[in-house]
Amino acid sequence: MTIIKVLYVDDEENNLSSFRANFRRLYEIYTANSGAEALDILSQTEVHIVISDQRMPNMTGVELFKKIKKLYPEPIRILLTGYTDIEALADAINTGDIYRYITKPWNEIELNNGIQNAYDVFRTRRELKEKLMELQKTNDELNRFIYSISHELRAPLASALGVINLAKLDNVFAESEKGYEYWNLIEDCCARLDYNITSTLQYYKNSRYSNVKEEVNFEKLVDDLVTMHKLANNVDDKIRFEVSIDQPEKFIGDIFRIEVIIGNLISNAIKYQKPEEEDKLIKIEVKVNRLDAIITITDNGLGILNDHLNKIFNQFFRMHNQKGTGLGLFIVREALAKLDGKISVESVLNSGTKFTIRIPNNVPDI
Amino acid sequence: MPSNTHIPNSLIIVDDSSVDLKINSRIASLTKLFKQILCFNSAEAALDFLVENLNNPEVCPVLILLDIQMPEMDGFEFLKRYERFPRSFKEKSAVIMLSSTDDLGDMTRVESDKNVVRLLKKPLQIGELKELLTRIYDL
Repeated sequence: MTIIKVLYVDDEENNLSSFRANFRRLYEIYTANSGAEALDILSQTEVHIVISDQRMPNMTGVELFKKIKKLYPEPIRILLTGYTDIEALADAINTGDIYRYITKPWNEIELNNGIQNAYDVFRTRRELKEKLMELQKTNDELNRFIYSISHELRAPLASALGVINLAKLDNVFAESEKGYEYWNLIEDCCARLDYNITSTLQYYKNSRYSNVKEEVNFEKLVDDLVTMHKLANNVDDKIRFEVSIDQPEKFIGDIFRIEVIIGNLISNAIKYQKPEEEDKLIKIEVKVNRLDAIITITDNGLGILNDHLNKIFNQFFRMHNQKGTGLGLFIVREALAKLDGKISVESVLNSGTKFTIRIPNNVPDI
Repeated sequence: MPSNTHIPNSLIIVDDSSVDLKINSRIASLTKLFKQILCFNSAEAALDFLVENLNNPEVCPVLILLDIQMPEMDGFEFLKRYERFPRSFKEKSAVIMLSSTDDLGDMTRVESDKNVVRLLKKPLQIGELKELLTRIYDL
C-alpha cells in the first residue's frame, strides 16, 4: 500500500511538533508554519491530505484552502478550528473548499479517523479519474478501430464487386450460359455482406454520434434512399414505389439517423415481399408539420405474425428463412430513441405491413 | 470545383491496392476518353511525378482519381500538398476522390475541399464515371 502523505499547516511550532510526534509512524508528514510555506511545499510535493489551522496571521486556513483548491484540486482538505470560527466556516464548507473540519484542540483518534476517511475519498476520486481516462482511451481506440475495420472489411469487398463489374463489361464467360448467373450470385453475396457490415457499423455509430440539427428535405432524402436501395437489392422495376411527400414546413433534424431509419425500413419492405405477388408495391408517405414528421412505409408483402410483432425490434430477431442480420429494426428503434421519436407497426400476415414513424421537428418556435 | 473545360491529357490513378488500380484503369480505358492512363500505388509516387511534370504538355492537364485510405500518405495529405501546386496547373486539372468509405467525417472533409470535384463510391461504375466526366468537361 502506498504511504499516505499529509501536509500539516499551523503557525504554532508546538502543534507542528506534537502532530509529528503522534503521526510520524503512520504517515509521511510535511509541515509548514504559514500558508505561503504550505503552497511552496505543494508546488514541489504531491501530498494526499492537507490539514490546516484556521487562525494564522497573513493567510487564514480557509483562504489557504481556496488557493490550494484552484492550484492543486486533488489533495483532500481538513480544517482545524475552534468553536468560535463556525460562522466563517459555513461558507467554506458550502462552497466545497473543505472536506471536513475538526475542532481544536484535536485528539489523536479523531484526527486519525479524519485522515483515514479523507484518504479514502482521495483514493476513490483518483481511481474514478483514472477509470475515466481509461474509458476515454478505450473509446478513442474503439473509434479508430471501427474506422479502420470498416475500411479493411469493405475495401476488399468493393474490389471484388469491381472485378465482377469488369468481368461483365468484358463479357468474360459470355459463351457459357451459366457464367452470367454465377457472376450475379457472387455479386449478390458480396452486396449482402457489404450491407451486413454497414448495418453493424451503423448500429455502433448510432450509439455514439451526438444529434446533429440540419435542414431535412424529405423529397430528396426519400428519393435518394429509394434509388440506393433499389440498386443495392437489384430491384429494377419489379417493385412499384409510390412516394408522396407533403412538406409545407421546414424540418430540422438529424439527417444521418433519419436516413438510417427510413433506409432500413425501405430495405425491409423490399426484402419481405411475396415472391409470387404480381404487383409488388411499397408506399412511402411523409407529412411534415411544425411539430413532427410523420412517415409511413406500407408494403403488400409477407406481413408479420401477430406473435412476432412485439419481438421484431429485438436485437438478432429474424423471421425464419429470411436473409438479414436481425439488426435492421433494432437499429431503427435505437436511432429513434436518440431522436425522441416513435414507431408503431400494423401487419396482416400475407397481405402486408405498415410502419408509422413520428420524428420531432426541431424547427425553432416563432 | 475548378472552372475548366480542359480535356485532360492524362488520367492519374492513385491507389495503394493493385487490384483496384487494375480495375479502375480498365474501367477508365473502357470510357475511351483518355489519351493515357498513369497508375501510382502511393500518394508520394504520384506527387513526385506531378511535381516533375507540372509544365509538361504531354502530361497536363490531368484528371486525378484519388483513393482516401492509403498507408503512409493518405488522400487528404495528398490534397494538402496538391494545394501548393501553381494555380495555373490546378485551374486546368481536377481531382475525383474514389473510396469505399461511408464515414461521415471523410465525406464532409471531401466535400469541403475546393480542389475535389466529387467523391465516387467504390466499386467505380462506368456509367457514373462517364456521366461525371460529361458534366465536368462539357462533352
